[in-house]
Amino acid sequence: MNEEKIITTIKENLKDKVLELTNPSPRRIFLKVDKNNLCEAISMIKEKLGFTYLITITGLDKTDSFELLYHFADDTNVINIRVSISRENPIVSTVTGVIPGAILYEREIQDMFGIKVENIPDPRPLITPDDWPEGAYPLRKDWKYERPGETIPGGK
Amino acid sequence: MEEFTVPIGPQHPALKEPISLRMTFDGEVVKHVDVRLGYNHRGMEKMAEERSYIQNLYLTERICGICSHSHTTCFAQGVEKLMEIEPPKRGLYIRTLVAEIERVHSHLLWLGVAGHEAGFDTFFMYTWRDREIVMDILESISGNRVHYAINTFGGVRRDISEAQKQTILDSLGLLKQRTEYYTNIGTTEPTFVARIKGVGKLSKELALSLCAVGPTVRASGIKSDVRKDDPYAVYNEIPFEVCTADTGDVFGRVVVRVNELFECYKMIEFMLKNLPVGDIVVKAPRRVKENEVVSRYEAPRGENLHYIKSNGTDKPERLKVRAPTLANYPATVEMLKGCFIADIPLIFAAIDPCICCAERMVELVNVKNGEASVVSFGDLKKLASEQYKKCGNKPEPVSIAKQLEKIRRKS
Repeated sequence: MNEEKIITTIKENLKDKVLELTNPSPRRIFLKVDKNNLCEAISMIKEKLGFTYLITITGLDKTDSFELLYHFADDTNVINIRVSISRENPIVSTVTGVIPGAILYEREIQDMFGIKVENIPDPRPLITPDDWPEGAYPLRKDWKYERPGETIPGGK
Repeated sequence: MEEFTVPIGPQHPALKEPISLRMTFDGEVVKHVDVRLGYNHRGMEKMAEERSYIQNLYLTERICGICSHSHTTCFAQGVEKLMEIEPPKRGLYIRTLVAEIERVHSHLLWLGVAGHEAGFDTFFMYTWRDREIVMDILESISGNRVHYAINTFGGVRRDISEAQKQTILDSLGLLKQRTEYYTNIGTTEPTFVARIKGVGKLSKELALSLCAVGPTVRASGIKSDVRKDDPYAVYNEIPFEVCTADTGDVFGRVVVRVNELFECYKMIEFMLKNLPVGDIVVKAPRRVKENEVVSRYEAPRGENLHYIKSNGTDKPERLKVRAPTLANYPATVEMLKGCFIADIPLIFAAIDPCICCAERMVELVNVKNGEASVVSFGDLKKLASEQYKKCGNKPEPVSIAKQLEKIRRKS
């Protein structure tokens, strides 16, 4: 299926729920939807267009808000679904109901950005250690790693 | 019936990556698998934001030691799109050539590991010996055996001479001959086939819904390969087939990989014979204007994805890396469910990270009372042999704790 056909199908099915739809380079389509319509958009491209394979979920910190990109692929094209999430209330609903393979990526997003994924089947931390301080999310732009001061036993 | 949990990892002598698998067994059968990651998290995505593009090229090289070329190519071709430069044809051919040679080395390595996990160490020695030929080719092209560092923005850093071309073609003949021998053993040797057939089943539907990638998904009968689906570099000019198998087990994964080896040889030969003349690199700018790109690459283990966002400076705003192994974990958990303890290393190795079975020390946790006890490997071995003596090849759920108690009292 070519890009134009995909774009018209998305427009027909999602209508005014499409906030932005671009095709900046061959085989790459960027679709922006509201976070409340995320699951609907994903099940639409899964059922109507056959995009069953979620490559990964990318998190972005735009300092005033967060952005999540869900990269989907079929046998030629990549659809990137973009949702914006406010910094004050970083919550997004899970997509594991539609795509069971999303679980590890959602857990990663929770760990690295502190975006709470609602109704996630397994909310435990995946990457951060057990003794990781609460509220420290490494991939947020305001998080900086500071090397703890070194003390040499017996040294000056 | 008593269930117990065995943690495997995170530290294991044969593990490429430290990963913790907490498995719940019912007798000999795996009931539930819990994966815990992050023991080797190096914070590379955060590091990339503080480094310039060219520094990041060498950082991405160090994501993996086996498919190091995959990550740099994926990153370089993404950044080239952002910089709006097009590498010359000869540069792209050399880049693809190294990629395919790397795939040969990775698949030969894996074949050896699969043989080793199945208890067939001769196979392991043979494939690893022949892998040296591939390593020598890589060294002659790039100067390095592991981190080739052949890529740069706008092309590659080293050219190939006529003499090198001839040496590679000569070594290919030997490799082909050896691979034919391995195909024969790997797919027809009765003891080896009996060990891998029907182990670690993954149905087509499950592979699709769990978003598995690479040879794992191709062994379940799905024709998915980024080189064909979303051609990058010069893959739209090179003739090759996507190899699949429909058995969906470890045997299928062996078949897919050995067939891919032959496709690789075909492609390497084609590229060497049709190597265009001209430059190998164009000049790349230092600053990159604001944009974003999704770059895909078919690594030996499956699909790599790099998402790069630039902000107008010489450093990226964000670099997201998705390596194929992470995508295969949910599918591996499903493959492991219902298998025997002895099959765990084989199934886990079949997706290509490798994990050897319980060595040195195992902690048994009784699910009913939560009591943990540390068992030495020797005790575990005794326990295993006693259990097999009792029930032959069909393991029955017996109380492990009771048997251990017996062994302890005896000694």
